[in-house]
Amino acid sequence: MFNRFQFLFQTNTSREKQMRAAINQKLIEMGERERLKELLRAKLIECGWRDQLKALCKEVIKEKGIENVTVEDLVAGVTPKGRALVPDSVKKELLQRIRAFLAQHST
Amino acid sequence: RLTSQGLRRLRCSVEFLCRPLKQPTWKIQYQSVLRFTTSLPDFIAEIQRDSDAGSVMSPAGCSHVNGFKVDNWKQNLRVIYQCFVWSGSVETRKRKAKSCVCHLCGAHLNRLHSCLHCVFFGCFSKKHIHDHAKNKRHNLAIDLLYGGIYCFVCQDYIYDKDMEQIAKEEQRKAWKLQGRSPPSLMHNVVQLRLGLINLGNTCFMNCIVQALTHTPLLRDFFLSDRHKCEMQSSSCLVCEMSQLFQEFYSGHRSPHIPFRLLHLVWTHARHLAGYEQQDAHEFLIAALDVLHRHCKDDNGKKANNPNHCSCIIDQIFTGGLQSDVTCQVCHGVSTTIDPFWDISLDLPGSSTPFWPLSPGSDGSVVNGDGHPSGATTLTDCLRRFTRPEHLGSSAKIKCSGCHSYQESTKQLTMKRLPIVACFHLKRFEHSAKLRRKITTYVSFPLELDMTPFMASSKESRMNGQYQQPVDSLNNENKYSLFAVVNHQGTLESGHYTTFIRQHKDQWFKCDDAIITKASIKDVLDSEGSTHKRTQ
Repeated sequence: MFNRFQFLFQTNTSREKQMRAAINQKLIEMGERERLKELLRAKLIECGWRDQLKALCKEVIKEKGIENVTVEDLVAGVTPKGRALVPDSVKKELLQRIRAFLAQHST
Repeated sequence: RLTSQGLRRLRCSVEFLCRPLKQPTWKIQYQSVLRFTTSLPDFIAEIQRDSDAGSVMSPAGCSHVNGFKVDNWKQNLRVIYQCFVWSGSVETRKRKAKSCVCHLCGAHLNRLHSCLHCVFFGCFSKKHIHDHAKNKRHNLAIDLLYGGIYCFVCQDYIYDKDMEQIAKEEQRKAWKLQGRSPPSLMHNVVQLRLGLINLGNTCFMNCIVQALTHTPLLRDFFLSDRHKCEMQSSSCLVCEMSQLFQEFYSGHRSPHIPFRLLHLVWTHARHLAGYEQQDAHEFLIAALDVLHRHCKDDNGKKANNPNHCSCIIDQIFTGGLQSDVTCQVCHGVSTTIDPFWDISLDLPGSSTPFWPLSPGSDGSVVNGDGHPSGATTLTDCLRRFTRPEHLGSSAKIKCSGCHSYQESTKQLTMKRLPIVACFHLKRFEHSAKLRRKITTYVSFPLELDMTPFMASSKESRMNGQYQQPVDSLNNENKYSLFAVVNHQGTLESGHYTTFIRQHKDQWFKCDDAIITKASIKDVLDSEGSTHKRTQ
């Protein structure tokens, strides 16, 4: 019984992966991905998220020193907090957009 | 031994250095410039020196791209951008959708990169592309999200000038295909274009504010927080200006709503209050006047002589206009020097005669170069401004040499030039009989040499040294254009816009909240009611 549970779990994740890949393909083909990126960028600037990230980046730069810091340092130093700082409202709105898009273009 | 004044100055500069750095990066830049300068003239001189040195961040390329830059590399790179980064057309998008997955794990997320040397896509986060780079010794990869080029030897993103150029072009192409217009130019450094919302016929204010915020020395003054406010209430215009500058240079993109500025101007310059259309030139003078008054408190000491204020406005904008009145009988000259913030020039077509009708002239219209026709130039207007004017028998002046009223000539010349010179073309005629706008085109140059109009030049001409050859090596009196304010429409209803120059040769048109790129030709063809030039 334990094994069957594991098996079910594995199937779901690979199906999830497949679905994600298919949705992504559709989004790119229809140019919707670009539009969503623009929408997201505007929303994140509006709500001040970009400024918060800028401040985080500056802290990383101060730590490492401006001569030595690499993009990797910034990415590693900023990503976890950055993801957490995205407001729920923005996430909801983007999700809604994607759902609406999929409903429109379901094959 | 330090005097008390010296001690205060020293304390001021030290306090400045110790101020906590919680402001944006440009502050750090300016703080390091200020170091131990204590007086305003020294500060200005240093900024002038440094602004010409031009510290632009140079992109860091790397030598490892040389292996890539062979054969038809430019075209290959373009194809990569078009197909996998910024896919503009339907076919490229389809291809991107299908093929842009990691060859090792199939994921399309995880910061996918494409190898530049072969057809391989790999995750960055899972280091799949790193493994590929190591195994195949392919040093370069491109980030499919943002188009950045990563060098595995340098272990960082690199910015090769040629590749950046290609990236930019391909991005624009893709945007065009998608029907998007590229966002207003963003350099790596701070974005310097901010629109101003029109609050109801306030374009006259907006255009001047745009010009002021792009005045280099004024910008440097405000961005380094030199203003120490002594006014108790929140009605200091200098503080408001300071805030405005800081917002302009903060990188915010959404247009600024200048309601506080408008309110302060209403409070301090009552004749401008109200929503009727106002004159941009009047606003400029009123704004400079209020700023000058509010700035005086900065020096700590009340200026004993109002003509020798050392506030930032006077340092930048104030020049000295020499007026020589020559008695026609004894030829004695009476000279006065008055401060000025702008030079207001009459135009041909106004009711005052334009061309000098000195005794003996036949009044034929010839412009300065001897050509019978052709556009009036700014230099023509300046010549007219500085020509000797016969005052006529109805306007006799009391001569101290003759002890009686005599006919005389009057001549204006520049005694002392300001760092920023504002030229105002008097297009609005308000005489007893008519009010109208003069739309005569006046051509103006990008570079202007004020030497012929200087008091010193006039003196050397009078001393018999005719036509001094223009010393092209001496830059003292040379100005370059950086802002042009235009008025479109009629006297009753019209609209102001401003052209602003940034860096050496980039021009932008500011129309309230809309900022667009402009060409030098647009600028020079415009009517130009007010120009500003800086040395």
